[in-house]
Amino acid sequence: MIWLIIVGMASLVFVSRYAFLEPKLPLKLSHNTQRFLSYAAPAVLTAIFAPIVLVRENSLAITFDNNYLIGAIIACLLAYFTRNTLLTALVSMGVFFFIL
Amino acid sequence: MTVSTNTAPLQFSSKYTAMWRGALAISPLSIAVIPWGILAGSFAIEVGLSPLESQAMSAIVFAGAAQLVALGMIKTGIGIVGILLTTLLITSRHFLYSMALRRDISPLPTRWRLLLGFLLTDELFAIVATDNSQRHKFDRWYALGAGLSFYLSWNLATLLGVLAGKNIPNIEQWGLDFAIAATFIALIVPLIKNKSILISVLVSLVSSVSCVLLNIEAGLLISALLGMTCGTLHEKLKGERA
Repeated sequence: MIWLIIVGMASLVFVSRYAFLEPKLPLKLSHNTQRFLSYAAPAVLTAIFAPIVLVRENSLAITFDNNYLIGAIIACLLAYFTRNTLLTALVSMGVFFFIL
Repeated sequence: MTVSTNTAPLQFSSKYTAMWRGALAISPLSIAVIPWGILAGSFAIEVGLSPLESQAMSAIVFAGAAQLVALGMIKTGIGIVGILLTTLLITSRHFLYSMALRRDISPLPTRWRLLLGFLLTDELFAIVATDNSQRHKFDRWYALGAGLSFYLSWNLATLLGVLAGKNIPNIEQWGLDFAIAATFIALIVPLIKNKSILISVLVSLVSSVSCVLLNIEAGLLISALLGMTCGTLHEKLKGERA
């Protein structure tokens, strides 16, 4: 049964990841669709990280004792001024773990 | 039907450099995912899977959120149909990733498409989709290096969880998920080059937080689509070019 679950899940996951990569799929992406998709990265990544930072213990945490929020603000500032991905990530993580 | 060949010159000196740079780019995420991998392994054992089955889940399914939710469902005795339906819901966002990367990946040879498709996690999408907009050129070796290193990290962490079992207390409370937030912020901020993109980010932010607070399952996909829609609408209204 477990193997059935594993294979079943793997199939669903793989199909969702591969489906639109298949060139034989008769899908032509119009200009409008391409424009729409160009917003995918910023929108998706924001949707993933925002709850991590703003929702702590199942409630909204927009206060200064939310370390995640402070760390995130620092990360934003670093990213804005340095434009360096690795530096921003490492420094804000360092601040988060050792200072906050 | 002619197949377009990707004849853009490699920006890296060799494919190995490209692979290495990809692995390096995804490294904060590869590290951030370690506690979750350990959890996936140890939770699987706790739920009653054998070591082989536990490792197989990470090796064959390779989807953290889906794995953990499925294990929880197995534990509470929910049947395979419920598990697969929930998996479908959780994995639905991957359709968006493959659609967004279709232009870059579908021209590649089949083995590349299948491999990159298999490795297409949130994290790989994050690295590849944001790298694209900076360099305006997709590099398959960069993507492969990132994807493989992340796969390795996830599976090694799972192995650790399988072996160490219950010996690592509450690892998910160590705050390592901040690493994901920090890395994503580092990736997103340089992308915000105009108002339309800023709007898509803000809408997505408010929506995703709301969905989590309201316990709406497909919140990620809903929020992403909402953000993308608002960004596109604004672009259309203002005649802006990204």
